[in-house]
Amino acid sequence: MDILDFLVHGFAVALQPEHLLLALIGCTVGTLVGALPGLGPVNGVALMIPLAFNFGLAPTAALILLVSVYYGCMYGGRISSIVLNIPGDEPAMMTTLDGYPMARAGRGGEALGLSAVASFAGATIATIGLTLFAPLLVKVAIRFGPAEYFALFMLAFATIGGVTSGSFTKSFIAACLGLLLGTVGIDPVSSVARYTFGWYELYDGIDYLVALIGLFAISECLLFLERDQRQDAAPVRLGSAAPGMRRSLDCASSIGRGSLIGFIAGVLPGAGASLGSFLSYSLEKRRWGAEGDFGRGDPRGVAAPEAGNNAAAGGALIPMLSLGIPGSGTTAILLALLLSMNITPGPLLFEQQPDMVWGLVAALFIGNVMLLVLNIPLVGLFAKVLQAPSWFLMPMVVLVAFVGIYSLNNSPFDLYMMLAFGVLGYVLRKLEIPTVPVVLGLLLGGQMEFNLRRALSITGGDWSILWSSGISIGIYAFAATLLCAGLIYALLVKRRLG
Amino acid sequence: MSEASPIHHAALGDRIAGAVLALLALGAWWHSHTFVTGFMQPVGPGVFPRLVSVPLGVLSLYLIARPGINQRWPEKAALVRQLGMLLLLGCYAVVLEPLGFVPATLVATVLLMRLFGARWRQALPYGALLGLSLYLLFEFALGIPLPDTPGWSG
Repeated sequence: MDILDFLVHGFAVALQPEHLLLALIGCTVGTLVGALPGLGPVNGVALMIPLAFNFGLAPTAALILLVSVYYGCMYGGRISSIVLNIPGDEPAMMTTLDGYPMARAGRGGEALGLSAVASFAGATIATIGLTLFAPLLVKVAIRFGPAEYFALFMLAFATIGGVTSGSFTKSFIAACLGLLLGTVGIDPVSSVARYTFGWYELYDGIDYLVALIGLFAISECLLFLERDQRQDAAPVRLGSAAPGMRRSLDCASSIGRGSLIGFIAGVLPGAGASLGSFLSYSLEKRRWGAEGDFGRGDPRGVAAPEAGNNAAAGGALIPMLSLGIPGSGTTAILLALLLSMNITPGPLLFEQQPDMVWGLVAALFIGNVMLLVLNIPLVGLFAKVLQAPSWFLMPMVVLVAFVGIYSLNNSPFDLYMMLAFGVLGYVLRKLEIPTVPVVLGLLLGGQMEFNLRRALSITGGDWSILWSSGISIGIYAFAATLLCAGLIYALLVKRRLG
Repeated sequence: MSEASPIHHAALGDRIAGAVLALLALGAWWHSHTFVTGFMQPVGPGVFPRLVSVPLGVLSLYLIARPGINQRWPEKAALVRQLGMLLLLGCYAVVLEPLGFVPATLVATVLLMRLFGARWRQALPYGALLGLSLYLLFEFALGIPLPDTPGWSG
């Protein structure tokens, strides 16, 4: 087995003391950030990037740290869902439905223990899936030429509508806006300055990290300022986590179904963890119907969506690593990290840097075990953090963002830019225009244009090369199918609501 | 009919956004013609921006015609707090280098905490604590030079 050899090698990389320590830090920080209401994986990972740069970490180490934060956030999101009835992040939304009623009934510890096991199972199944399927995808992708890559980018943007479950028009507007922002700066092919209007600070283009932290963290703080501020959470008695772990055996089939659905939702470009947990919960509810006690504290209603969203998080890494196309906001940030370190994910990454790829996969397995171990005894501690007042937490987020961004280039211009993106993100969110496609456009625009140009320079300007191979036609057909499915789904939802 | 008024406002927000974005698309299209190179390429620097600005423009016009829903816009008090935060952070960015990291950050953290609802007796000690621990973290633990205060060279 090829894969097994690689994996053994990967474990040798991941078990180095430095990498183990980083994974542990990442898991702890991630769980804390994920647990804090309003700060999801996107913000957690985005805020860690400047720190990773400043530590002077090698790419593999930085990636292990950030991916541990990512997995940690997915674990942590459930804590505030269950304890406070406020989802720690968007995918944890479904967990409030049955998690909070369980906590109110004094079974909070049980819910936390059960969801920890479910998260572990979901994430592990997804990581196994990643190990098996990513190399297969790479084998196909290695034959892709520029025209096929261009088709793949079109696929990513065509399916974006599904991510956000909002309006298709707005998702595509957001993607176009991001692509347009991505063209700002010196054009690498012709050296012409585009949309810089004489500002030399823009010649290098818009810094991904500045845009990301502005769009996500700063806009989050602006939104937060609107809420009622003197709102203190009432502490809930948690009880022991042990019964939850036993309960997970009863829920094994729910966990299995949730993981599978979540994994598939994660792999599809643009679907992501929220869809994974939503589908898992809906399926469980339909499966058990009146037999279950859904909405009033059914353990299966906690287990399935938690397995689903953690599996989706792992699944989303597959297209990011093997094709360079992220399936979610957080994987987009991981892509931003790699691009900033001059590493382009894709099939070549697996050939040229197997240490990094397989070290990362092994680190995911290890991180998962760490998270399970951390989450059983320390869950009470994590739940305590939720009671830290927001007047301390939010300024801390702003300050970490500020100092982190400033330290990248020692440039106040980056700070103004970050604030501007914060306002943009805030306005977009108010308009219900999703921000994730903006980020994807900004990140992928350069590669998309590059591949378009390469394809057309092969034929000397004949555009038909874009749809001349079987693979690219297949990709366009797949994109069209997903797009239609999304539109039909949106219509059905609208009809049911209206 | 309590829902009538937010929906009305929502449509307005989308229409304004659509108009702004349509203008942006038009501007991007128009400006892209100034990207000229000396040599011939099958795809010049202006082609991709134009390819993107067409769907952006069309979709923005569609948004004007068929606006969707928006979230509730902030009330006056919240808006003042938000503008306060932006102003505060903008000023912080301006004075960071001339004043040095420590004094600028101490003032910024205390005021930020006030903005997020802390009382003075909470904001002063915890603001100082947060500012100083960030300084120690970045300057010593991470070894990143932050702007010094003039006249206080250590």
